[in-house]
Amino acid sequence: MRKANLGVAIFLFVLGAIVMYDAVRLGFRWDPGFGPGAGYLPFYLSLGVLICTAIFIVKQVIQLSKIGIVGDKPLIQEGGLKPILWVLLPSTAMVILISIIGLHFAAFVFLLFYMRVVGKIGWLECALVSILMPIGLYVVFDRLFLIPLPDGMLGNYIKLPF
Amino acid sequence: MAENFHNLMMGISVSMQPYNFMIAMIGLVLGVIVGVLPGLGGANGVAILIPLTVAMQPVSGIILLASIYWGALYGGSITSILFNIPGEPWSVATTFDGYPMAKKGHAGKALVLSFFSHFVGAVLGVIMLSFFAPVIANFALRFGPAEIFSVMVLTFSAFVGLSGKDPLKTCVAIFLGFILSAVGMDIVTGQLRLTFGSIDLMGGFNFIVAVIGLFGLGEIFLTVEEGLKLDSTEGGKVTFKDMAWGVKELLIEWKALLLGCVIGCWMGLKPGGATPASFMAYGFAKQGHRKSEEFGFGASAGIIAPEAAAHGAGTSAALPMITLGIPGSPTMAVIMGGLMIFGLLPGPMLFVEHPDFVWGFIGSCWIGNFIGLLVVLAFAPLFAAILKVRFAIIMPIIIYVCAIGAYAVNNRVIDIYYMIGFGVVGYLFKKLDYPLAPLVLALVLGDMAESALRQALLISGGSPIVLIKPPIALPIMIAGLVIFFWPTISGIIKKRRLKVGPG
Repeated sequence: MRKANLGVAIFLFVLGAIVMYDAVRLGFRWDPGFGPGAGYLPFYLSLGVLICTAIFIVKQVIQLSKIGIVGDKPLIQEGGLKPILWVLLPSTAMVILISIIGLHFAAFVFLLFYMRVVGKIGWLECALVSILMPIGLYVVFDRLFLIPLPDGMLGNYIKLPF
Repeated sequence: MAENFHNLMMGISVSMQPYNFMIAMIGLVLGVIVGVLPGLGGANGVAILIPLTVAMQPVSGIILLASIYWGALYGGSITSILFNIPGEPWSVATTFDGYPMAKKGHAGKALVLSFFSHFVGAVLGVIMLSFFAPVIANFALRFGPAEIFSVMVLTFSAFVGLSGKDPLKTCVAIFLGFILSAVGMDIVTGQLRLTFGSIDLMGGFNFIVAVIGLFGLGEIFLTVEEGLKLDSTEGGKVTFKDMAWGVKELLIEWKALLLGCVIGCWMGLKPGGATPASFMAYGFAKQGHRKSEEFGFGASAGIIAPEAAAHGAGTSAALPMITLGIPGSPTMAVIMGGLMIFGLLPGPMLFVEHPDFVWGFIGSCWIGNFIGLLVVLAFAPLFAAILKVRFAIIMPIIIYVCAIGAYAVNNRVIDIYYMIGFGVVGYLFKKLDYPLAPLVLALVLGDMAESALRQALLISGGSPIVLIKPPIALPIMIAGLVIFFWPTISGIIKKRRLKVGPG
């Protein structure tokens, strides 16, 4: 986990540098006629991030050079990465699908895929849940509470008949 | 005092109106379900349902949101005790002793103890809320921008100095939260900040989306990584005999109960939230107990202390939220976000401008927690049965509902992408022990803190001395500094004592 710690800290350091760059562009100094510029607070925030992560990185590097990574616990425990990816990738795919065929239909595909392929659940159960759930949520959100959920680009062609 | 009592009665009558009462019941049942399901926590449970409350009266809306929180506080323990699966982060400490007790065949007793302790913690928190909130709000009416900013400094210092996490990581989390809140249009100058020419970033990051990602998806990733092991125990039905036993046990272990309540209220005010409160209470109860060797094998005090602390923290977290506009726990932060959507700005003026709303909310805290107790006592086995449904069915449904919640905040599809991004960040931060609560709080309070700071500086003409102006800002700032460096200070004190002691 020490490597991951270092990696995340370096990433945050870079992020802090980017924020500082933008804060300097916006102007972080005191403008006599106007007051603090738009970059005033972001500048000091990014300064804080840079200082904290820099100290942290130095500490981590010293630690790593002293004891190395022997005996370190991995970030993701053994056999843990696969189930995580099996959640992460299909849900990302669902989000991409949302902008094409709309939220409820994308969810139908996602539910069916996950339950059937990953969960290995019987067809009947899969079909029931993945059809009834979107219909139920459609009725509650779109119909009862009048919160329109995204239809997607093909919303005019693919939609629920009620 | 008499006036407060009168107001409280009015508030309770508001929350007893049939419609509000029904809303509270729905909220409680949903809350317990949210509490039972791992991967769906109080904070994101509330966040998902915020869009539904927009169409309601503000009082009914906040009653729904708060009831979900109360229900989730009660519900998390059910699965901790019966299945050894904490439904919520704040019920992790309950598994240490609740599950062993249930395994011995005393599931009913363990549940009773947990629910009663919750209730006592809640009552103490609500009493504080009812009688101290008006006083604090009245005092806070004198606050100007500099004072508000100093209170925020105190708040975030508490996270750094008292949370026991790596102070560097806590600081980074706080700064990141503020930076995320700064993305988009600057409220003072109208300039675009940190958008780098991207139109999508112009709208900024909504903290509700962040909460759903960080707490919802992040939690799901953690759960699937570890795999869900169901260690079911028999029973879970609560009998009257169990209840009588529970009351007796609470009286015997009154010290643990009191300890839990006090730690809970402190952690709710400070702010810290229910999760650290429960762990802290468990640790202290174990340390000071005469039979500390029984802890971990089904000790009553090991259930009582963390449960009372969790609920005490949950309810008292409403106090700083409603009086100062600084939520005491992540879930309260989300509820506060709901208030802002209703167009109500939490803070001392709320008591002056919308007394009916404030007292309706406080009244519903009384009613909600009481009915919540009855609901979980009566239906605990029913709620536990939800977990018998396979996780491969529940989990995609949770993600689906999270996506709806993230979208409906601003009606933007990009928010669902952000949600997944925040999910990955939440997973990484949880694993690497970066605290999420201060990040979310900074994201919520970002605009308020920044405008307070800039107003204060504008008033003073750029001199930062205004931020430590007596009589109010100065002591708060000093307290903030002391708390910030508390680990160092307490270390020095201990060393001194050691030197003096044996010499």
